[in-house]
Amino acid sequence: MTGHDVVFILIGLLTAGGALPTVTSKNLVHAALFLAVTLAGIAGVFLTLAADFLALVQLVVYVGAVAVLFLFGLMLTRAPIGREALDNQNRGLAIVVAGSLFVVLSGLIIQAVATGAFGQGPFEIGYIGIEAIGIAIFADWVLPFEVLSMLLLAALIGAIVLARREDGDSGEEAMTTRIALGDAPPSNALSGGKKTDDEAAQLGTGGAR
Amino acid sequence: METLLDYEWIVVLLPLVSAVAIAAFGKKLPGKGSELGIASLGIAFVLSVLIAWQTFMNSPMEPIEHAYRWSPLGGGFVFELGMLVDGLTAMMLLLVSTVSFMVHIYSREYMRGEKRFTYFYAMLSLFTFSMLVLVVSNNLLQAVIGWELVGVCSFLLIGFYWEEKSNQDAANKAFLTTKFGDVGLIVGVIVLSAGMFALTDTPFNIIQINEAAVAGELSQYTIVLGMLLIFLGCISKSGQMPLHVWLPDAMAGPTPVSALIHAATMVTAGVFLLARLFPVLAQSAVVMGVIAIVGVITLFFGGLLAIVQDDLKKILAYSTISQLGYMVAAIGVGGYTASIFHLFTHGFFKALLFLGAGSLIHAVHSNNISDMGGMRKTMPHTFWTFIVGSLALAGFPMTAGFFSKDEILIAGDLWAGQGFATGNLVYWVGLAAAFVTTFYMARACFLVFFGENRSHHPPHESGKLMVGPLMLLAVLSVASGYIFSPVWNLPQNFETWTATSVIDEKASYPFIETPTQAVGVSAAAAEDKPFTILHGAPKWHLDLLVIVLIIFSSAVLLAFRIYGRGMPIRDPVLHMGRFTTILQNKYGFDAAGYRFVVVPVRDRLASAVSYSSNVLIDGVVAGAGKLSKRVADTTYHVVDQRIIDGGINGAAFSASWWSSRLKRMQSGDVQKYAGIIVAGVVVLVLVFALSR
Amino acid sequence: MSPLGPLLLATFLFCVGIYGVIARRNAVLVLISVELMLNAVNINLVAFQNLLFPNDPAVTGMMFALFIIGVAAAEVGVGLAIVFNLFRNRATVNVDDVDLMRW
Repeated sequence: MTGHDVVFILIGLLTAGGALPTVTSKNLVHAALFLAVTLAGIAGVFLTLAADFLALVQLVVYVGAVAVLFLFGLMLTRAPIGREALDNQNRGLAIVVAGSLFVVLSGLIIQAVATGAFGQGPFEIGYIGIEAIGIAIFADWVLPFEVLSMLLLAALIGAIVLARREDGDSGEEAMTTRIALGDAPPSNALSGGKKTDDEAAQLGTGGAR
Repeated sequence: METLLDYEWIVVLLPLVSAVAIAAFGKKLPGKGSELGIASLGIAFVLSVLIAWQTFMNSPMEPIEHAYRWSPLGGGFVFELGMLVDGLTAMMLLLVSTVSFMVHIYSREYMRGEKRFTYFYAMLSLFTFSMLVLVVSNNLLQAVIGWELVGVCSFLLIGFYWEEKSNQDAANKAFLTTKFGDVGLIVGVIVLSAGMFALTDTPFNIIQINEAAVAGELSQYTIVLGMLLIFLGCISKSGQMPLHVWLPDAMAGPTPVSALIHAATMVTAGVFLLARLFPVLAQSAVVMGVIAIVGVITLFFGGLLAIVQDDLKKILAYSTISQLGYMVAAIGVGGYTASIFHLFTHGFFKALLFLGAGSLIHAVHSNNISDMGGMRKTMPHTFWTFIVGSLALAGFPMTAGFFSKDEILIAGDLWAGQGFATGNLVYWVGLAAAFVTTFYMARACFLVFFGENRSHHPPHESGKLMVGPLMLLAVLSVASGYIFSPVWNLPQNFETWTATSVIDEKASYPFIETPTQAVGVSAAAAEDKPFTILHGAPKWHLDLLVIVLIIFSSAVLLAFRIYGRGMPIRDPVLHMGRFTTILQNKYGFDAAGYRFVVVPVRDRLASAVSYSSNVLIDGVVAGAGKLSKRVADTTYHVVDQRIIDGGINGAAFSASWWSSRLKRMQSGDVQKYAGIIVAGVVVLVLVFALSR
Repeated sequence: MSPLGPLLLATFLFCVGIYGVIARRNAVLVLISVELMLNAVNINLVAFQNLLFPNDPAVTGMMFALFIIGVAAAEVGVGLAIVFNLFRNRATVNVDDVDLMRW
């Protein structure tokens, strides 16, 4: 057991310890925050595996963007802040299925490693630097790379289209959304005097759409 | 080379053509069809005279046979429809056409004014055709066809006056009694042909049957059984006892019918058939003995019945029965030629007697002799022709009847000479019956023609059309005997004429081996040569002549004593006590027939048959109908409604039941779907892992 | 080091993610669990690449991991947009309430 292994075990424990509350916590925001912890732990795991570029990418993208996105999502969908029963009636099935899968897979892995299916002897960690990664991208993986950029563009556009407000104007909430969100009807001062009087009257009625 | 003989079939078909023509348009003709009948029969008469002349002059001759043969079963069995031309056929042809021609002429006057005149003539011609079919046939099947046709025509003609129930009954009685015998005939024909099947393609052919019998190719069983059965048919048709009961009642028909059918032709069909098949029955002494005994019984007891009759036609009917008995008895004692010779002559004089009786009856409008009397003054022609006929019947020397009856008695004597007792029976009983015959005919003649007239209207002589045939027949009653008489020795006589290819000079009986010394009354019975069927040219038998004269004169004297002065107040014949009663009851045959045949069949057999038809068979049919209806109902209710519909409905029901349970799987809960997918993945992983 | 550690960790995270996908009621939390599963796969890929095939010139494992990160990010974006839409129409993000496609 080298020091390397000890470090890995510690970081692994951290990660696992962050994953469990993610799925079991009764507080939604806590769950999202624990996800961030888990993701960070995974970045650490990457570091122990000498994949430094990937670790940084993980931190930037996942922890920095995805986790925050989740928080945004939770907020915008009026996640109840506080305790609430967040598990449905499929809990039994979930435990059984996940548990059996874990048992089977881990058994298989342990058996594989023990029987030397992955090869013999100590495993050298090969350091793969960013240079090698860059060359590989533009040598072998250039097509998936371009497609990925297209995908991101499509996802961007798609997300905007899907999440657009109903009346088509940006900057204003739809009536239904407003009423669903329970906000008070906007005053003329809030709207910045851009509306005419009859629009204001229409706004006051609401629900016409 | 075609001769007249090859056209014999014209004689057969002419009456048929005439019958059809009369039926078709006879009513429109001035003579109402009678001229057609008379014309065609006249031509047939002339032709048959020519044919008879030719066969007689060329006798003995080989028979000529023409037949249509066809094989409906495709080989192995051949049906024939044909004609045979030989002496026997020509003789019968002559007899039938002569008597039929006479009757056709006679009926034109006798039946004048009758409602069904045309029908009568059509039937007469049809009957003549049927008889000729029987006579010329060359095979037994055709003979049976002719036999049956003749029976039908007889039925129709006896029942001519069918408005009276008694006439219908008489026709029925005639038909059914002869039908009873016909069973024997048909079975007998089949038995004989069965014996012939192995030998030839045409098992019914008469010449072949005769030749096979003589050659010994038919077994004794076949011959005895077949001939006895055929003889049963002859018993009924030719009025032998015990099936004679229909003949007297058949007098219900018109007198010309009685003359034609019940004297000369139809009733002789049985004797004719026996003569045709003589070679077959000559092979068996048993058969000949049976035939002889039946004939003897008939000739004696039939004659006795004529004594007590008042009805003139009944006297003649019983006389016919008795004479038929003579013919049959002659066959039974080897008198082949004698029998058919008597048939020939009897046909003429009995027809004469009947037609004469018809003339008398027509004059006094009554059948009974008690209503006649002293007719000789008013009806002279009828008188002397009737007397001639009676003399012939009684066998007065030099009449035809004398020659033929004597031949029979001599045949009996010769047979007795070979050691057979039946020969003696025929001889002595035949003589006794001759006495009886003479007596009753003399009685009839005295009562009818002598004494005071007892009729209700004054009688007058009949017209030329009736008297003419009488005269011709009277001539024939005398002349026909001379073709076989000892008066002159002809190279061709009746015997050579009617000899066939099988019955030739040397034909004999297989059961008579050595000639024996004759032990008979007549010296003529002494012969040295082998005993043959044909007895050769007739000779004078002076002893027999003397006996006949004695019998004749004693009978006539007796009758004269009783009836010479007309009807006695107390007819002794009717006052003989028990004897008279038995005779008047006709020996109880009719009563027995009613009690033992008619009543059981009518009451028991008919009701049993009707039961089996209406109750059993109809019950089965109705039951089948009900059963099938039940089955159909069950099929519908159980099989169709419950099983099939239930099955189909059940399939639909189970589909919907399962679906209502299985649809809950689609809960809309996506996470559950995901969980189950992962479970599947676990299973797959396990499977892959374990399979390694 | 042996690959046993990373692999086991990846397996554990994956199963935890599966539990979360099946058992959580909030749609966002389901997405979170999906992210967890994807990350577990990433660990697996990197472990294989760096420990077992370090000399692969195409660096397949790590490239896969990178792409997964990119696609997962896009997917989160779109997924959250969908969740917003759902929330707007239904006023709930409870997965249990979205069960119109049932019998």
